[in-house]
Amino acid sequence: MTCPDPIAWDTLVDYWAADLDPTATDDVEDHLFGCPACTAAAARVAAITEALRAALPPVLSRARIEQLRTRGARIRENTFSPGQRREVLFARDADLLIHRLAGLDLAQADRVDFRITDEATGDLIAAVEAVPFDPAEGAVYVACQRHYGTLPADTVMSVAVHAPGTPPRTATYTILHRFE
Amino acid sequence: MQAPDSELVRAIAAGTREARAAEAELCRRFAPRIRLYGLRHLRDEDRARDLVQSVLLAVLQAARAGRIADPERVDRFMLGTSRNVAQRMRDGTSANAGDGPLATIPADVDDKPERADLAALVRCVSRLDDRSRQVVMLSFNEERPSDEIATRLAISTANVRVVRHRAIAALRRCLDGHKEADA
Repeated sequence: MTCPDPIAWDTLVDYWAADLDPTATDDVEDHLFGCPACTAAAARVAAITEALRAALPPVLSRARIEQLRTRGARIRENTFSPGQRREVLFARDADLLIHRLAGLDLAQADRVDFRITDEATGDLIAAVEAVPFDPAEGAVYVACQRHYGTLPADTVMSVAVHAPGTPPRTATYTILHRFE
Repeated sequence: MQAPDSELVRAIAAGTREARAAEAELCRRFAPRIRLYGLRHLRDEDRARDLVQSVLLAVLQAARAGRIADPERVDRFMLGTSRNVAQRMRDGTSANAGDGPLATIPADVDDKPERADLAALVRCVSRLDDRSRQVVMLSFNEERPSDEIATRLAISTANVRVVRHRAIAALRRCLDGHKEADA
């Protein structure tokens, strides 16, 4: 199964990013419907882009958590204070663990960044800039998902609060995940 | 050598002994293409699967009735039908494919499409450099347009695209490496 004039990888990525103009989009689709080889290549790109699209971001707003709860997600919440280090259990009957990283002064914050690293090695596991936050709550909400079970269990979560005219302030929380 | 698509359409229209096998083969060939179209335009795996069923049903009915004027271009007919049905689904005017007629579509058209291993994907994303990670997450998880990403990261739109092309290729290689390691 080969194509004499395959669609370029870059074009397929742009197609899945919805970053082609309508004519170019039509051209890609005309080609795909007549070409099993390029369909297979497009499916290899889509497997990644659509998984990224569907993935729940690691940091959620309170409104998003309530929306998930309304849809029937079984959610357990744990609250952490800055500097705290303790275990949390991802129980078998939970779909989602929410770590409420509290004790933050967010009243003047204009941006909050989040990083999670392996406690043992310091290796970066994930970093997200400009996460959702609610100034009144003084907390950000980290969504620990069951498929994270294969990632390092003992983690350091850092929250950097940016406010105009002051250097960023960082709070850390050490969370040791145990999966049932 | 496998029969061309046009031969399958003609066998279906003729209602020969081979018609049933031709229908199954036509569905097997086009289901992945319709599914991808559905994923891209309907943004939902379940709706994409509904689209596959509705389009195949409509095309098989047309083929049986000899209404596919140019069997050589059945791929265009499939695409046109996909566009129409997807548009009706977006408008909320599409009738469900129905329980009865669904039975006429071969049950094995679902070719078990690849699903990325989410844990492996998280790990692969974490191995990207900061800029690449930002670009792929803003592009696909937050669905931000390239010009907005460019402004936010203070780079050109062309640069956003180049970073994204390379990052998705790197994620593909990383996921393939995980699969080989698991095999």
